[in-house]
Amino acid sequence: MIINELLLFLILPLAVGFVNLFLPVVLRKVLTFLVLTFGLVMVYLFYQRLTDSFAYFNVVIFSLNQIGLFIVAFIQILSFIILIFSVNGLDKYSEKRFFFLYPVTVSFCNAVVLSEHALSFLIFWGLSGLTLYLFATMGKTHDAPKAAKKTFIIIGGSDAFLLMGFVIMWLISPSTGWSLNNPQIPLQGEYAHIAFICLLIAAFAKAGAFPFHTWVPDFSQNSPVESAAFLPASLDKLLGIFLLAKMLTSLFVVYPLMNVILISIGALTVIVSVMMAMIQNNAYRFLGYCAVSQVGYMVMGIASGSVIAFAGGLFHMINHTIYKSNLFLSFGSVEKRTGTAELDYLGGLGNNMPLTFLMALIGGLSVSGIPPFNGFFSKWMIYQGLIEKTAILDSGFQLWLLACIIIAIFGSALTLANIMKFLHATFLGRRPEIYKDIKEAPVNQWFSNGLLSTLCILFGIMAVALPLKMFIYPVVEASGMNIPTFVGLYNPLIIILLLIIAFLVGILIYGLTAKVRYDDVYVGGMPALEKFRIAGTEFYNEVRNFTLLKSIYNYAEKKYFDLYEMGREFTFSFSGYLQKAHPGQLQLYVLYMVIGFLIIMLVV
Amino acid sequence: MILPYFIIIPLLAAFIISLIAGKKDNWAVILSVIASSALLVLSLFSFISMKEETITYSMSAWSIPYGIVLVQDALTSFILVMVSIISFTSLIFSIQYIRHLSMDWKYYSLFMLLVTGMNGVIITGDFFNLYVFMEIALFSAFALVAYGSRAEEFEAAFKYAVMGSVSSFLILVGIAVVYSATSTLTMAKVAQILPTLNNEIVLWVGAIFMAGFGLKAASMPFHAWLPDAHSSAPAPISSMLSGVLIKALGIYVMIRIFYNVFNAPEVFMKIFLVLGTISILIGVFLAIGQWDMKRLLAYHSISQIGYILLGMGIATPLGILGAVFHLFNHAIFKSLLFYNAGSVEMALGTRDLRKMGNLMKLLPTTSQTSLIASLSISGIPPFNGFFSKLIIIIAALQAGLPWYALFAVIGSLLTLASFMKVQRYGFKGETVIETAENKIGWRMNFAMITLAVLCVVTSLMVVPGIQEVTLDPVVKVIANKTEYIQLVLGGLNGN
Repeated sequence: MIINELLLFLILPLAVGFVNLFLPVVLRKVLTFLVLTFGLVMVYLFYQRLTDSFAYFNVVIFSLNQIGLFIVAFIQILSFIILIFSVNGLDKYSEKRFFFLYPVTVSFCNAVVLSEHALSFLIFWGLSGLTLYLFATMGKTHDAPKAAKKTFIIIGGSDAFLLMGFVIMWLISPSTGWSLNNPQIPLQGEYAHIAFICLLIAAFAKAGAFPFHTWVPDFSQNSPVESAAFLPASLDKLLGIFLLAKMLTSLFVVYPLMNVILISIGALTVIVSVMMAMIQNNAYRFLGYCAVSQVGYMVMGIASGSVIAFAGGLFHMINHTIYKSNLFLSFGSVEKRTGTAELDYLGGLGNNMPLTFLMALIGGLSVSGIPPFNGFFSKWMIYQGLIEKTAILDSGFQLWLLACIIIAIFGSALTLANIMKFLHATFLGRRPEIYKDIKEAPVNQWFSNGLLSTLCILFGIMAVALPLKMFIYPVVEASGMNIPTFVGLYNPLIIILLLIIAFLVGILIYGLTAKVRYDDVYVGGMPALEKFRIAGTEFYNEVRNFTLLKSIYNYAEKKYFDLYEMGREFTFSFSGYLQKAHPGQLQLYVLYMVIGFLIIMLVV
Repeated sequence: MILPYFIIIPLLAAFIISLIAGKKDNWAVILSVIASSALLVLSLFSFISMKEETITYSMSAWSIPYGIVLVQDALTSFILVMVSIISFTSLIFSIQYIRHLSMDWKYYSLFMLLVTGMNGVIITGDFFNLYVFMEIALFSAFALVAYGSRAEEFEAAFKYAVMGSVSSFLILVGIAVVYSATSTLTMAKVAQILPTLNNEIVLWVGAIFMAGFGLKAASMPFHAWLPDAHSSAPAPISSMLSGVLIKALGIYVMIRIFYNVFNAPEVFMKIFLVLGTISILIGVFLAIGQWDMKRLLAYHSISQIGYILLGMGIATPLGILGAVFHLFNHAIFKSLLFYNAGSVEMALGTRDLRKMGNLMKLLPTTSQTSLIASLSISGIPPFNGFFSKLIIIIAALQAGLPWYALFAVIGSLLTLASFMKVQRYGFKGETVIETAENKIGWRMNFAMITLAVLCVVTSLMVVPGIQEVTLDPVVKVIANKTEYIQLVLGGLNGN
């Protein structure tokens, strides 16, 4: 066995995690930074010289390919930036655990991506789920234990399906064995389908796609914000979508109907969670639902089978990790200053925390797909690909796919509406008196958000030159597709130019017209008291009361659509019946035994 | 010959304790710790040194078929190691735990008798001898279940005694049938003669044994005694019962009889499969609804035994490997979980999960080790339970039994859910509990930490290279089925 460079991605952060347990506070942070910086350097070096693999007992365990390197690169970049945010703000007790779990999680996520052997993929996938659970148990809210339990039941449970999927793949395709290196199993027959669905469950649970998404809002609401930005918003999305992309490009060969089914699930994810996000009043929970809806776009893009949408899906994935962690962290700064994540109690903090507001605004505009930010570009690629796809389908499918696209675009508009509510409720409107002394977030926090916001802008304006050419096109090529050509006309620079002109015109009009009069606000002839404040959370109460939607929302709030809750309900009722059959009466137990004995006798 | 010492040491210890212990338990503790550490060393030594050979020992040098023979092969040593590890840690755990109940030497005497019975069952090569040792183990188990002397404990012990006697009666009938058909009680001899007889005898006897030993192993539908008995016993005894007794008396004997003596008839393998799957599912469904922590754990024993039976029923070498590995792993994590429950019960005076809360600060060792044990039993990597379940599921799919694999997966998912419940209410709940009724001493912590470390270390047994010297010889003994005859009788002729 030789020490291989690839192993460093696994071993170094893992070792740092364990060493951190014994180090003083400052050294702990320094060491974590060092190891992540080293990770970035390694990514750079591997981009110069790609192929590498690590074998043990003549079985390839780890290997590095384009898509792997791409994901690993963004694992390093995001964990580095989120780490900047995390250096202060945690209490002493949590900090120790955090700086143990953080590098360890990075290590496991790296290992998942590098794994070529199915079993090592499975083990590290499970381990990354375990650290997610351990992060969840750090939550301080009342519901945190419950959320941690739910999270791990969904994530850990999906591991069991992943296991089953891999074993079936191994049985179907004995020639490739446990290797995940391009087995290209045709999706025919029930076994292949079972394997495909098992893997899909795992990928959807990790990425948080409908119907396995329900842990994301709960986790986001109840865990420390650093971990929410780190895992469900970033690393888990990378892993889940990585698995999905791998399934569709190298593990299985799917047929068009399956593509359409997956696209539909994506569209469903978008609309369901964006509608749920609309009625949330807790900011983290709201962001959690938002994150779920974005997964829908990625699924649509990657599952479409069209090259440009595939590239768009991957691009959307990294964009999402960037702007969603930005939003989480920006709001995290607010929550750390004010002590609440309930939008009802916030408002008007834009003056107190201008930088944080700016970052959140950039993140918000990106997530809503407003040009020239990155979110627009990737969504636009996905739509293009899907529309291109409709051209080659039968008319029935064509209509269906168009409906999905319309839903997705509609979802995008609703996202914008949601984000407006979020931004208004936090930063705009009238500020509650108790927050008048709130200060801007600490330097490291807005700096980290600033980096993310810069990426949002850079990836939007220089989309083709930077992320697409550097990261995504190589992946597309390595997956055996041609680099896509764009069909529509969109140039970010023109958009910026137009925006600048619009702003200039606006300023001109503002300067030329009469001075604005500032005055106190009165309600019914009385000066407006704080209780008349419009928090912003009421914006979409109308939607909630639409006849049809009202009952759907009511059912959703009773958790009728939550697979986890339904499963729980069923399990406990079944368990109740079984317990009734065990009342503690000896006669009955002996009777069971006799019956069992007789049955065995009969069988034999 | 070290073989007889596995019986002599604990038996002697049990009697010496009763002779020399005064009112206090100091001597009893010292003696029993010495005895069980000696057993631990012996068993590890024999497991490492003997590898794939089979050693036999004729008691008092009476030759077969008149005398009694003791047999030691890889399977025997493997189970002996398991029993020794758990009895050693349970004993260490008991010292403080039992003192908190009473200062009595009787506990240690009974404990040693329990070990004697189990060791005897494991190394004997004779049916009647097996029955005798089984009864020794059972009677000490009845007494130990009732050790706390509360009404519910007596009730549980009584139920256990009644059900146990019914199954012992069945086993005795089975042995009588075997004896009348073959005129011998030596297992190897019986195995040699059986194929020459009418096949119906195997079926009759097999069915009787299946029910009899099925009850000892607590597989469905013979399980009903277990939750009461295992949850009422003192925690270290629960861990002995759930961790090793049901396996030594139930699973191990079933493996011996159905594989090595009966040559693994297909119909019984099917019954193993079905009973295993039913046990997995019903056990876990029953467990998840419980609020009494020890009762929940007891129901999980049924479900985990189901995995072992499932592995045995698959009957491919891989399935057997999974079963044997899971057998060992289950002993470790289930004992650890019972220690955790015992430690919480001692500290808070309750077993009700709803009355517990955040124990991370109050009982750090207990909370951390319980997390490790919970993850192991739920099959989360890198803990041992993951690997054994993985092997069983792979084996089931490979043998063309996808439904059984699916049930195993569902069982695993529900196990995870119910241990998340334990963690969520028991150790990471909302209410922070500040004070404990009793402090948890270093001996209890030592026992828990040892097993928690083992939960991780034993996963190494599947690493290529280590597997060949640990698990593979055991699997070979089982998978070679009636080759046992030659190994035992051949060894005797040379004696």
